[in-house]
Amino acid sequence: MNLKFNFKRALSIAKKEQFHIMRDPFTLTMATILPVLLVLIFGLAIEFNVKDIGLTVHDSDRTFSSRKLVEVFSSSQYFNINPSRGSIIDAISDLDSERSKASLIIEPEFEHNLLASGNTKAQFLLDGADNSTAGVILGYLGGIQKAANFKLTGTLVKEPIELKTRYLFNPELSSPWFIVPGLAVVVIAILSILLTALTVAREWENGSMELLLSTPVQPLEIIIGKLIPYTVIGLAAVLLVVLVAILGFGIPFAGNIILFGVGSLIFLIACLAQGMLISVLIRTQQLSMQIAMVTGLLPSLLLSGFIFPLESMPKFFQNFTSILPSKWFMIISRGIFLKGADLSDLKLPFIGLFILSSILIITATKKFKKDLEP
Amino acid sequence: MTNIPVNAVDVSNLTVKFGDFIAVKNISFSVEKGEIFGFLGANGAGKTTTIRVLCGLLLPTSGKVKVSDVTYDQGIEAIKAKVGYMSQKFTLYNDLSIQENFAFTASLRKIPSDTLKRRTKELLDFIGFSKPMNTLVRDLPGGIKQQVSLAASILHDPEIIFLDEPTAGVTPVARARFWALIKQLAKDGKTIFVTTHYMDEAEQCGRIALMRTGEIIALDGPENLKKTTFPDPIIELNPKGTIPSELIEQLRNNKAVDSIDSYGMKYHLIMKDSQEWNRLSIEIAPFFVIRQIPPSLEDVFIRLVEGVTR
Repeated sequence: MNLKFNFKRALSIAKKEQFHIMRDPFTLTMATILPVLLVLIFGLAIEFNVKDIGLTVHDSDRTFSSRKLVEVFSSSQYFNINPSRGSIIDAISDLDSERSKASLIIEPEFEHNLLASGNTKAQFLLDGADNSTAGVILGYLGGIQKAANFKLTGTLVKEPIELKTRYLFNPELSSPWFIVPGLAVVVIAILSILLTALTVAREWENGSMELLLSTPVQPLEIIIGKLIPYTVIGLAAVLLVVLVAILGFGIPFAGNIILFGVGSLIFLIACLAQGMLISVLIRTQQLSMQIAMVTGLLPSLLLSGFIFPLESMPKFFQNFTSILPSKWFMIISRGIFLKGADLSDLKLPFIGLFILSSILIITATKKFKKDLEP
Repeated sequence: MTNIPVNAVDVSNLTVKFGDFIAVKNISFSVEKGEIFGFLGANGAGKTTTIRVLCGLLLPTSGKVKVSDVTYDQGIEAIKAKVGYMSQKFTLYNDLSIQENFAFTASLRKIPSDTLKRRTKELLDFIGFSKPMNTLVRDLPGGIKQQVSLAASILHDPEIIFLDEPTAGVTPVARARFWALIKQLAKDGKTIFVTTHYMDEAEQCGRIALMRTGEIIALDGPENLKKTTFPDPIIELNPKGTIPSELIEQLRNNKAVDSIDSYGMKYHLIMKDSQEWNRLSIEIAPFFVIRQIPPSLEDVFIRLVEGVTR
């Protein structure tokens, strides 16, 4: 019976679907505003590099050397100095009240010890409650210590081994460079899973599926017809993200755009199949939407390596994420975008993504056909 | 067309099971060409399941089905081409215009564009539709929408038209208009298969099949159904004022009384032994205004469908 697949009929379904999309404010808004909003929020608001850190300084020494030390902190452009209001207690209470993230306590013998023995100490208190900021500040301390040594003693301390670091692919460690290419994953996942989940559930809910089936239309024609417009929307959204990345954030597109498009398409099909599966199983728009949000948004945001590195997850989660198409496409997207990786570099992710997509599309089609065929 | 089939629908020993649940139990019936065939029954009686089988939406578990000379052996596509289906739940896509709805239906059924043009004009004339074709369906009043929907479901000129509660939720005037269209279609030789909850609509059917828990418990014309179900007239008792509460119970327990049911403020009484009526009528005359009424289809429905379970 499937041999009777008629592309014209599939196109009629696609055309009808296009009318729905063009006339439904919700779908239209989702399709256009959502990618823009996501790019703006994630591209502009997320900044892993911390600046303007509040630093309470309690200087009991008040000497040339202690002032020099404070100057090193203030001129590093990472810290904003909050002078202590007289009591050493401020160094702690400022951390409690979130006025500062860190405190610097300089004891009275700071300069004396430096001049007498060439060796002195200052205490640095760090708010460990916010461990990500603490980690970043800790990273800055090394450089600041080096600068302070030079300023106070006038000599550069020679270290036996010096590691010179150069950052490849993202030389300035700019956060948007890291975030925006990953957004392609999130945008495709949300848009396509949500919209397809709604489109099929809508036909079930208002009973039009029954009417469609009373005509000679084949289940496969319905599936293909319904997926065509959402494939177009999904690809347009990806293109938008790429354009914003290049033009808006100045991120160079290092790899092959065709390969990127192919990867996007495979991932898109996986997401469309997932949306289809949800709405075939659920059949009501409201619940479909909620399930699409949870199964679409959460894995792509949290378990794909978009923000939280998979390498730092427990072994179980590292393995678990391998069944998520978004993990594989995240590797592909960042790899092609930033590193200019080619197909041979991305063999494993492409194979993984392809297998998962195939499983999803086969499951969805089978379930859909089983429900529709008498 | 050398041999025109006499029967539009032939069903013999049709059974449909969903797992252990038997939705339709071994039913057999035929519908003549040009007939308006009514399907009555409570929700879950098996009406929709039967219609779905006849429309090619559901495979029968066992039994034979012949729709417009086509059997399931010839494939469901062949059946689908012969029937038009209009459901109560869904009529047309609200966010599409009439033109777009028609074109969509036509493309699914592979109706050529010149045929579509001709049929569209014919059908819109038929229902007396005068608004522009690019009106969105959501802007149409309920009654008109129902008529346009009927037109869309018979765009491919099917021989049998299945209407599943087509007039649910429209005004009485629109219902009357819709039934005029149905009768016209039947006159033109189309076979109409209709389910309804309205008794006045059921009265207009040529024959009615009453379904209960998957079985057809009665099948006849409305008048015959009334006659066979109620050989004796129904006696309507209209209380003159407050009546002693035990009186109804006494009547119900009377051996000569078959049944007594309340209809709003009134009671319908049916005698088992009509010889006894003369005596009984004098006995209860002080309490009721008594008159004999012809049975309505509603009486038949209640007696057959609900009465058995009591």
